[in-house]
Amino acid sequence: MKKKTLSSEYPFAIGIPAVIWQILFFYAPLLLLLVGSFLTWSDTNTFTGVSLDKFTFFFRGSYLSVIASSLLLALSNSIICFLIAYPLAYFMAFKGRKWQNLLLFFLIVPFWTNFLLHVYAWFFVLEREGFLNTLLQWLGITSEPIIFLNSTFATMVMMVYYYMPFILLPMYSSLEKFDVKLIEASYDLGASWLQTLRKIVLPLCSRGIKTGFFLVFIPSFGEFAIPELMGGDRRMFVGTVVSQFILGDETGSFGAAFTVFSCVVLLISSLALYFFIDWLLKPKATRW
Amino acid sequence: MVKSNSFATICHLLIIAATYVFLYTPIIVLLVFSFNSATFPAPWTKFTWAWYEELLASVHLWKAFLNSLIIASCATLISLIAGVLFIFYAAQGGKIGKFLPLFYGNLIIPETVLAVSLLGFFSFAMIPLGMTTLILAHTLLGLGFVIPMVYARFKELDYRLTEASLVLGATPIQTFFKITLPMLRPTLLATSLLVFILSFDDFVLSYFCAGSTAQTLSLYILSMLRSEISPVVNALSAVLLVLSSGLVWIFFSLRTRTKIF
Repeated sequence: MKKKTLSSEYPFAIGIPAVIWQILFFYAPLLLLLVGSFLTWSDTNTFTGVSLDKFTFFFRGSYLSVIASSLLLALSNSIICFLIAYPLAYFMAFKGRKWQNLLLFFLIVPFWTNFLLHVYAWFFVLEREGFLNTLLQWLGITSEPIIFLNSTFATMVMMVYYYMPFILLPMYSSLEKFDVKLIEASYDLGASWLQTLRKIVLPLCSRGIKTGFFLVFIPSFGEFAIPELMGGDRRMFVGTVVSQFILGDETGSFGAAFTVFSCVVLLISSLALYFFIDWLLKPKATRW
Repeated sequence: MVKSNSFATICHLLIIAATYVFLYTPIIVLLVFSFNSATFPAPWTKFTWAWYEELLASVHLWKAFLNSLIIASCATLISLIAGVLFIFYAAQGGKIGKFLPLFYGNLIIPETVLAVSLLGFFSFAMIPLGMTTLILAHTLLGLGFVIPMVYARFKELDYRLTEASLVLGATPIQTFFKITLPMLRPTLLATSLLVFILSFDDFVLSYFCAGSTAQTLSLYILSMLRSEISPVVNALSAVLLVLSSGLVWIFFSLRTRTKIF
């Protein structure tokens, strides 16, 4: 419906630059990536045809296990981030309203600082003679320094450290909108702690949880800097393989195909997870 | 207050405290060692400003810093102008809202994939990698935030104010610049700040799209991490933490309802 007072006398061109930019530099490159991964070229750079060769190349154990370990990394990262973020989001939204700005401030400052510096900071903590080992030895928990760096543990620590705010902030924004009386009412009417959590709080922030979960899950799947810097070269992840193919001399087109291939896996698993989480968070007519 | 026993409250507070200990232990250790005269790994020896002096004198680092500053400013400015034009057209009654879903993809797709596709595109279009390609790429990050956020705020504005202005004889352009734009100002500032920081701290897009000529701060830090561990990085971290605290402070004092996510 047109508004009476205003009807655009301006050419469409005025509003369009953002749309053009978006199509030209976002959708066109993605399309190019997609199409390029089906095309084959001969050694002399002449076009030879369309094939699925590059995809069947990746359909073997070692590459599938790379994708599987990325999925596992992303999934465990999102779950751990959720578990850490949930009590904090709940506290900021309901219990500690006085402190919420201060808590938010101290949450966002590291989040808005270059993450490579945090990787570096964790070196100091996890090093052989670093802070954590010194502390553990001083407490008498271990006598020998534990090697934390270059392990899945170090990767996980850094992933959780970096991605936690991505799930906390949406959860906090969706909880913050609700009145604390809803929770009080639930307790007053005799619901247990678990029932209140299950039937009131989780459904209330279900939107925030879903948003946050995928804000963590999707980028963690493609992450390559953290596993490489913290995890050493023991395990390969999708991001590592893609960056090696893409930045290699002759392997660019394989990199494109592998990117498309893993994107398809990511899309399917994200959809499946979305419906699963949706089902999980829906209030159900159960006792608990 | 929520009724709960004190034991549960204490547990809850302990969990919150533990979360912040987790967040701040590495930062504090890092800051402390930026004043240590011996290089890591070594215990505390003597207080010194030497690493800060070395940081100030490091030419390459400040060059990279400047590059990041230029890229972030350009990306912010371009996405802001494109965003305002988008809103301007919508405010004049243009039906541009239907293009909005186009911009949702920027946050959904993994940055690695975006970077890889852009790299392919740049080599296909024969655009040499460098500052320009970085600005192009970072502007996409910016658009993904600016357009949906500003448009959402624009939709929330009270249309009666616009109507009043038009009824009282202001032209649509006057109305836009004197009524609509001032009302959007806090949101515009907050999103610009967000885009600036995202671009300034961005690593993935820079890693793929920088080529060999343009070095951003992130890439410089990466090369420092890979080559030698020097307390100069600690000093740099301290400086950047102070900077980002300042920016977060500004973001908070804008008092918009702008959600980072």
